[in-house]
Amino acid sequence: MTTKHVNRLLLIVALAVAYVGVPLLFGGNAYVLGLIVAALTIAGVAVAWALLGNLGGMVSFGHAAFFGVGSYTSAVLAMKLGVPVFAAMLLGGVGAAVSSIAMLPALRLRGPYFALAILAYAHIFQILATEMTPVTGGAGGLLSIPRFPAVFGVDFGEKTGGYLIILTIIVLSGLAYDAVRRSSWGLALKAMHDTEVATRVVGVPSTHLKAAMLALSAFITGVVGAFNAHFISFLEPDYAFSSGWTVLPIAAAIFGGYRTVWGPVVGALAIYLLDQLLFKPIMPHGHQMVLGVLLCAMILFSPGGLMPALRRRAAKEARHAHA
Amino acid sequence: MLELTLQALFSGLLAGGYYATVAVGLALVFGTMRVINLAHGELVLLAAYVAYAAETNYGINPVMAIPVALVIVGAASALVYALLSRIHQDREINSLILTFGLGIILTNAILSIWAADIHSTSNAWFQDSVVVADTLFAMNAEVASFVGGLVLMAGVWWWLNHSWQGRAVRALSSNRAAATLMGVNPRKIEILSFLIAALLATFAGFAIYTGKTVFPALGHVLTVKAFIITVLAGMGSIPGVLIGAVMIGVIESLTVTYLSASLQELAGMILFLVVLFVSPSGLFGGGRALAR
Repeated sequence: MTTKHVNRLLLIVALAVAYVGVPLLFGGNAYVLGLIVAALTIAGVAVAWALLGNLGGMVSFGHAAFFGVGSYTSAVLAMKLGVPVFAAMLLGGVGAAVSSIAMLPALRLRGPYFALAILAYAHIFQILATEMTPVTGGAGGLLSIPRFPAVFGVDFGEKTGGYLIILTIIVLSGLAYDAVRRSSWGLALKAMHDTEVATRVVGVPSTHLKAAMLALSAFITGVVGAFNAHFISFLEPDYAFSSGWTVLPIAAAIFGGYRTVWGPVVGALAIYLLDQLLFKPIMPHGHQMVLGVLLCAMILFSPGGLMPALRRRAAKEARHAHA
Repeated sequence: MLELTLQALFSGLLAGGYYATVAVGLALVFGTMRVINLAHGELVLLAAYVAYAAETNYGINPVMAIPVALVIVGAASALVYALLSRIHQDREINSLILTFGLGIILTNAILSIWAADIHSTSNAWFQDSVVVADTLFAMNAEVASFVGGLVLMAGVWWWLNHSWQGRAVRALSSNRAAATLMGVNPRKIEILSFLIAALLATFAGFAIYTGKTVFPALGHVLTVKAFIITVLAGMGSIPGVLIGAVMIGVIESLTVTYLSASLQELAGMILFLVVLFVSPSGLFGGGRALAR
């Protein structure tokens, strides 16, 4: 079997476990399932962040902006205009993608300038959400946001239903990410990562491609934010635009490997569950310190993340076995 | 109305003084290493908390705590450098994320040691008010920090322009390869820039603790503010950074006076974006090397 086949097989097994195994195992345990849903919410943002970083070559410190815009768009559409919740969730993603248009001027900025310009947007959006009281409910927030409805006998408003929704969002995002990476766009973006000027010279519209990546990343983040709003049924500006929606996904993506498609998902599950189950009980205050330590350790010792490191190791052992 | 405006301008000017001490440190390090140290604001915060700990636990005047804070912040800053200098692959992205992670560690270390409460000095002298020109009010601490900050920055400015090592810092900022060929040891100069940044950060931490309030989340805010200021000033010169810092200070205090305190950060952010988009090399031209 080639590695391609192994990878496909792994993916199918993982999907089977995720769709059938996890609900069967933890369906009755609301606490554990709640933790997994929260971890997957982080994972969704982590995939979107990694997509922008890997394909677009842009580090964002403001993905909370898209998360917040997506969640508010969806919540307001469902509450004030009666849009069906699933449709509102997708429109939340559209809203976030539209908000990325405001960031187009930032695309010509590089490195830290881009990263912090996006952070500035996140702050500005948060303040706007706080000040636009008639629409967003201001600092008091929105209460009793409609939950997901029951479809075909499955109640998506429950924990298990919510789990299936966020899982599907992540699977589809990952597949879309993979498809883009394999397409000619992916090739052009990879070339851009090496030398942007040379790539422009041969006729690649690099700014358009970057804008498309930003919009795609914003869309995914927005949908995840919208999912979260309907899942927990509550929003306030400080929560929806919290820097946690930026910090945790970055840690997850770096930990899992931001140059891989599924690494950020594995990273999010590992980091969030470790944080909540292990570190939070040990040190209630400042347990995020561990995230910082992990982040620094990964950058220093394995900048490609955990997944590539494990794979390298597996390959090494395989070679030894053959020899 | 006029009095209110004048008072806002005056308060903004004083705030700009300590913002500048934070921003110059960030710009110095950026000059020599081409890295934005996202943990810089946390270093400032660390100094402020050392002053706080010295005052509450041992009853030491915050001024006397400066040497202790200097040693601790200097060590932390050197550690940031030691870790940063190990990064070779994808330097731009990885060094951003590394210093971001270091910032998280420092913030949470401070949070777990000193809790999330808001602190400021209990020394009455710092909080006594002084009246300037009959109508303008300020706290002793604000005026003292402003003057002290100016003296410190003037010292760094002189050092950059007239000492051999200061010139080496500027040489490294403007052309790394050429500076190395001329006998500048880049590692020595880089660590020197981190130590000077630590000196400025320590002073800024003292200024915040005596003149404002400190809380763990402040570090991140300071980093962002310092970055905004260096963008306004174009990483160019110390006087440029000072002007950028005073601009931010004044705009913030005018916003607080005439609009609302919750919009304080918004004003700076919008100014930042406008400058980035209109003139990415800053308001004062595309100067790269510090001090000109």
